[in-house]
Amino acid sequence: MRLLHSLIPSILLSGACIVSAASSWSFEDGTVTVQSKGAGVGAGAKEKLNPSSPLAKSVSLGAADTLKLQLTTVDGKKSQRPHQAFLTLTDSATGLEESFVLSVKESGKGKVDLTHKDLPHQFLTSAKPIAASIVIGSFGSSTPYKAKVFDLNVARDPNVPLAVPEKPLRYAVDKEIHHIFRADPRSSPKIITLVFAAAVIGALPVLFGVWATLGANANHLGKALGSAPISHALFYGSILAMEGIFFLYYTSWNLFQTLPAAAVVGFVAFLSGSRALSEVQERRLAGLR
Amino acid sequence: MRWLFSLLLLALLGAVQALSYTGGRLLVVLEEQSEREKYSVFLEDLAARGFHTTVDSPKSDKLSLFRHGERAYDHVILLPGKSKGLGPALTATQFLDFMKKEGNVLVALSSDHATPTAVQSLLLELDIHVPSDKGALVVDHFNYDSNSAAEKHDVLLLPYPKPLRPDVKNYFAGEGFIAVPRAIGQTLGNESPLIEPILRAPCTAYSYNPKDEADAVEDPFATGEQLSIVSSMQAHNSARLTVLGAAEMLQNGWFAEKATLNGKAIKTANRDFAQKLTAWTFKETGVLKIGKLFHYLDEGVSKKLNTSLAIPENNPKIYRVKQDVAFQVEISEYQGDHLAPYFPAPGDSVQLEFSMLSPFHRLNLTPISQTANSTIFGVSFKTPDQHGIFNFRINYRRPFLTNVDEKRQVTVRHFAHDEWPRSWQISGAWVWIGGIWVTVVGWVAFVAVWLYSAPTEKSVKKTQ
Repeated sequence: MRLLHSLIPSILLSGACIVSAASSWSFEDGTVTVQSKGAGVGAGAKEKLNPSSPLAKSVSLGAADTLKLQLTTVDGKKSQRPHQAFLTLTDSATGLEESFVLSVKESGKGKVDLTHKDLPHQFLTSAKPIAASIVIGSFGSSTPYKAKVFDLNVARDPNVPLAVPEKPLRYAVDKEIHHIFRADPRSSPKIITLVFAAAVIGALPVLFGVWATLGANANHLGKALGSAPISHALFYGSILAMEGIFFLYYTSWNLFQTLPAAAVVGFVAFLSGSRALSEVQERRLAGLR
Repeated sequence: MRWLFSLLLLALLGAVQALSYTGGRLLVVLEEQSEREKYSVFLEDLAARGFHTTVDSPKSDKLSLFRHGERAYDHVILLPGKSKGLGPALTATQFLDFMKKEGNVLVALSSDHATPTAVQSLLLELDIHVPSDKGALVVDHFNYDSNSAAEKHDVLLLPYPKPLRPDVKNYFAGEGFIAVPRAIGQTLGNESPLIEPILRAPCTAYSYNPKDEADAVEDPFATGEQLSIVSSMQAHNSARLTVLGAAEMLQNGWFAEKATLNGKAIKTANRDFAQKLTAWTFKETGVLKIGKLFHYLDEGVSKKLNTSLAIPENNPKIYRVKQDVAFQVEISEYQGDHLAPYFPAPGDSVQLEFSMLSPFHRLNLTPISQTANSTIFGVSFKTPDQHGIFNFRINYRRPFLTNVDEKRQVTVRHFAHDEWPRSWQISGAWVWIGGIWVTVVGWVAFVAVWLYSAPTEKSVKKTQ
């Protein structure tokens, strides 16, 4: 019986081959209906499908809707059951395809239902309408049929979050990373700096002026140098030299060059200072200060 | 001693002759030795390319993928046989161990024979799925050979595969049509970046089992381009495994056969495709070799990169933050029997990562020059303002190319105390510098006044 079952179609098919080798698959009475949830059977817009040209208007499928596609497959003029009857959705941007199998009866009547649950998430998030084609083909020599019949517009409620799985890793060129450097330290505007620097330097003449009004002078220089020339020259010279050492330390010297020099100068200042300051003390005791 | 020497010489000679980058010892597992005749052209082609072919049956006692714990062969071709088991020498674990030791495997399936359980579990391990029932095959009512499969439509005629992505090199391109007789379609897991389809089924194809009684397909294994007829897996160690859905493709009968596709007479190009497929699987193509890595301080004298490779790799161990550094790397691609300069596909580029835990810089390298058998890629950049232990890292992984992961460690130190700008160069410090000078001059003047000032009349009165 099983053998007979499998034999009959093949005999029929081969017979068909001989009779009309150029017959081709197509469909008739194709309709697509979008049925909203809760609406009665038969409600919703019914569009007639044309095997030779796609629908002008795209079919919109909402979140709660069900798309029902019904058709009768024909081989040449006769309605037949093909081996392959698919509704193929193609995302034109990514090339992603998904086929849905039409359940076709012996009479060639086929149908498929489609809801959001059946669609992969790429279709749900696709910005462009998805091309829906019908593929009908079977064994033997009949020309198979494949044509776009309508555009499917997946309407999604933007408030309902969609669980989109994380994109799997693919080896490809990565985004470039350029290190963002911390900003360089900035100084305040030069004009402000210069005003304050001038104020600071201006304090020196003010200081000297105040000293002058108080009667500061260097009139006893000759007297001091006269009574203790070497020690005074050395003492004042060593104070100047110490400032010079500090200056060199600031500009070029390191600590190991600075310390011996400072020690030498300090020793000279200590020795000459005691003599020089004794001379100053003598002048004070003489009432000359 | 002498025989050992001559053996060594022979082995060396073999290594020289072999076209594959990794070696030429090839094991062909074929159950029925009588079937060898069917694959004779394929095997001769391999031998002509320098492979030392050993054909053995899985039932043979001597057969083992390993000898003394090392690989006994560099490559394995597994041709389908009648029996469902492959024996203790060819288990899924053995194959995986073989691949862990960088052996390459070509698995040919056939819908005429049941897929051995060892192969099934091996493929399952790699996230490649094949239909579990025996006899399932791929049919397409649009692209079939009307000479040999006018009724059953199970001999597909497919054009050569297009590049996987625009930025991926195509090692399987060619002119003509490939005959795919009675193939087992595979589906590939989406998670792994290691598996890639080589030849996909056309969009109207589907996989079904002819033994099903239903005369219409109801629940196909997979449809369209999601069905892969030839798929590949390249492990992290660059070991390659190719699954060929139809072993018949390799048989003499299909190597240059006349076929008819939609009324047009064509000649199948299976011989060329088989050559390309085995060349890739056995590492004759798509093998990258990294040469010298250079990095050096770009001293600003000339911004031109140093492209000479005459100097040995003698890289600095330490850099400072915010220094200009030049980097160069030499990359070659193995092409059949020689190393050639490597150029990435358009839209792709080799990238350098300068990283401490995570990359601070990831820069596209540009080819700056080339030698007879390598391209020199280079880039200049500034070390980040973060001190630490950094790596110059080239981690280049692309489909169909062996993985390259090279790194060189350097220290990036912070500024030394005498590398900062001097205080007088900072305009904001001028007020403080002025203050110091005022203090210095004031102090020197004060000392002079204190030492040498003569009393005025007023002050004398005051002290009294």
